[in-house]
Amino acid sequence: MGIKQAFKIGAVASLVSAVVAVPLATAQTLLIKDAKVITLGDQGTLQMGDLLVKDGRIEQVAEDLGNLNADLVIDGRGKVVTPGIIAPSSELGLTEIGAAASTNDSAIEDVSIGAGFNPSVAFNPHSTLIPFNRAGGVTRAVVVPSSQEKIFAGQGFAIKLTGEFDSIINDALVQKVYFGEYGAELAGGSRARAYAQIEGALAQAKEYADNRDAIRRGEWRELDYSIDDLESLQPLLTGEQPLLITANRASDILQLLALAEQYKLKLIVEGAAEGWMVAEQLASARVPVIVDVMGNSPDAFEKLGARMDNAALLQKAGVTVVISGPGYAGSHNSYLSRQGAGNAVAYGLPFEEGVRAITANAASVFGLEGGVLAPGGVADLVLWSGDPLEVTSYAELVVIDGKPQSLVNRSTRLRDRYLHPQSGTGHGYKK
Amino acid sequence: MRPALESTKVVRRLLATACSAAMALTLTACGGDDEAKSKGADFSRQDAFPSTYKADEAGPVLIRGATLLTGTGEQLNKTDVLLKDGKIAAVGEELKVPKKGMVVEGAGKWVTPGIIDVHSHLGDYPAPAIESSQDGNEMTAPNTAQVWAEHSVWTQDPQFALALAGGVTTLQILPGSANLFGGRGVTLKNVPGRSVQDMKFPGAPYGLKMACGENPKRVYGGKGTLPSTRMGNVAGYRQAWISAAAYRDKWESYHENGGEEPERDLQMETLAGVLNGDILVHNHCYRGEEMAIMMDIAKEFDFQISTFHHAVEAYKVADLLAENKVCAAMWADWWGFKHEAFDMTEANIAIVDQAKACAMIHSDSAIGIQHLNEETAKAMLAGQRAGFHIEPRHAVAWMTLNPARALGVDEVTGSLEKGKMADVVVWSGNPFSVYSKAEKVFIDGVLMYDRDNPERQPHSDFELGILNAEGERLPEGGQR
Repeated sequence: MGIKQAFKIGAVASLVSAVVAVPLATAQTLLIKDAKVITLGDQGTLQMGDLLVKDGRIEQVAEDLGNLNADLVIDGRGKVVTPGIIAPSSELGLTEIGAAASTNDSAIEDVSIGAGFNPSVAFNPHSTLIPFNRAGGVTRAVVVPSSQEKIFAGQGFAIKLTGEFDSIINDALVQKVYFGEYGAELAGGSRARAYAQIEGALAQAKEYADNRDAIRRGEWRELDYSIDDLESLQPLLTGEQPLLITANRASDILQLLALAEQYKLKLIVEGAAEGWMVAEQLASARVPVIVDVMGNSPDAFEKLGARMDNAALLQKAGVTVVISGPGYAGSHNSYLSRQGAGNAVAYGLPFEEGVRAITANAASVFGLEGGVLAPGGVADLVLWSGDPLEVTSYAELVVIDGKPQSLVNRSTRLRDRYLHPQSGTGHGYKK
Repeated sequence: MRPALESTKVVRRLLATACSAAMALTLTACGGDDEAKSKGADFSRQDAFPSTYKADEAGPVLIRGATLLTGTGEQLNKTDVLLKDGKIAAVGEELKVPKKGMVVEGAGKWVTPGIIDVHSHLGDYPAPAIESSQDGNEMTAPNTAQVWAEHSVWTQDPQFALALAGGVTTLQILPGSANLFGGRGVTLKNVPGRSVQDMKFPGAPYGLKMACGENPKRVYGGKGTLPSTRMGNVAGYRQAWISAAAYRDKWESYHENGGEEPERDLQMETLAGVLNGDILVHNHCYRGEEMAIMMDIAKEFDFQISTFHHAVEAYKVADLLAENKVCAAMWADWWGFKHEAFDMTEANIAIVDQAKACAMIHSDSAIGIQHLNEETAKAMLAGQRAGFHIEPRHAVAWMTLNPARALGVDEVTGSLEKGKMADVVVWSGNPFSVYSKAEKVFIDGVLMYDRDNPERQPHSDFELGILNAEGERLPEGGQR
């Protein structure tokens, strides 16, 4: 099915001017010729270059690889190759329709603190959100739970957007926690309580680590958190797992930096609308941020300092910036991080940093493969019709693990069904 | 293909009021507005809270040698636009430089009509969003046609200025979608105002917000009252229109035959105003089959629907929309937040447009409203990828002239045509590029926003002394 659809979209809109020797999805070697290649790696940007993929890996990137034999050769003239987009914080595969409770697996109720919650077994690779975002150039994503009761939401994992059953690539990747206004609300009404809960949980996790046997035998004081939760906090204390925590207000961010310092946490701040005010502190603590570039409205008191050039100011100060999709779009349109990056560039972020913010930076912050185009690296890449950050360009070819992916999805299926109204047999009989 | 708004009464009144608002400047074009007055009952109460908006006086402005997207299907390269006395005075080549006033060198720049958002809640759902400021949804009964959105507008909402920086010159503030009949919307010029009347678009007809589908049935079904289903929704609409028709007839009979003056009913006034063509219906409606039903209801009670909003499935009924002269306001790519938003295609606007129906972009978002040029660009691209030949000169109408039509103000704004209000945006480049910015925004010929001049960037009261007691919300030069 994937193969047929890949051809169909190519035929409909003349998207890929390729010499197709074998069906797309089975191509073992793939050669893109004469494209602008933004590697984000040591090779920088090749204004016109070739890229060879073999067995799922990038074999070579060079200005001219000559006339190599490849299963699939693509003329990239006038087009741009980048690493695939990585969504840094999504619910892909955990949600289908926001307002339909039965289709949402990202949040739970009634657990002690929720740190042990791991929704990866609920992940659905056949979600309609996956092919849609893949067609938008997203090749990997970090999937994190959310919470409506406790500040600890639980463990996130990473996926490839192949739509295959084996899509999960990194389980128990990250712990998600809420601070700031929402964290305060969940904790009982004050940031101070939210902070105390995080701090208390970490302290008890430490106590648990130091006295594990006694605690498990029941020969220790009663702790506030379940064994499951305390166990799941251990990778935070050892630095194996980053803490992904939401905060927007500058003073909130500073509190988190202090907490991270105290417990030697690997912190990632999500939101950071007022990050620009404490950019120096974030940079010197080497704490990366995930920002919603489009969110410039002071629509909460914790975001009074929201502004369009937040990403540019953070990057300039030396902070690693990851750009997420716009908050209003949610996981359904995670790929719109590309539009966010374009806006960030319009407001001062250097272009290549804009591309990096939706690819390489997400990979490095979460320790994922991909994000750069370098020999030996995983072949997750996108061939764009033009400037990858421009709203009038689009993904012509999306490659994950060296395999060209179908770009067909419900949006294109519905489009094609209704594009040319026909009399006679009703639309219900069209495919 | 003027949709929905054939009521010549509305158009005449609009022109007359627009003329008087522009004061004595163009009196010659404003004769004979006596017949604009409605005969019989005044259901729309157009003058109850009259517009007090007056554009500042401004010298002439010549924008020289820019690329123009006129909104009427043309792209004019290296062309001049002259703004004078609040109007577009001329569009052409080598226009004479006015003696005084301002010259904007347009080389490399693009000019469009001001962007118009037919669906906004700015002021009613202002920033910051806290419990006490959420005034957009009167969620107390399925029919609250008696409430007027303008009475909730917080004119100091800092989001108006952000929308202005995105090139938005006109916007309709609607009540929310909890109810079958949510109340009246109001069309505003995007200008600072101490009272909402200082912002009201002179002469613009009122809109009635209606809502199909999930929201009303969820809100009232949850309370165990009608409606709890889509069929309950429809029963609610029809029952209300029966009452409204009776109310209208009672008043008409009174005006024709005299007798005792009937008692006024605010709820019925709004609905009767729809029935006599003075108030335009703006109907939140996602699904194709629901839009079809709503058009049947309009036929049953003999009124016209102006526009379906959030029309995610408009592409499924594009021919019906064209046939019934109903507009559709759509997003470029929003989907999946609820079931009725599941069948999204990015080609929606393009398909509706190609079916000769009146298609437009809309925001329903304080962020989206700042980027309607980008949203239009994405919709244009989706149309091109679907195989339609759609160029910027055509697509620009999706954010200018077509929303003006939906609001009933297309006679006076929405395109770069001589005699129209000088609502104009100068862009740093092609407005359909993510990198382009609105550099200068003129409303009625007045420079309301200048990206290069902080003195010409409005700051609401809210921005003062925030974050910095002695300064403003963002430091000087901070990119809002």
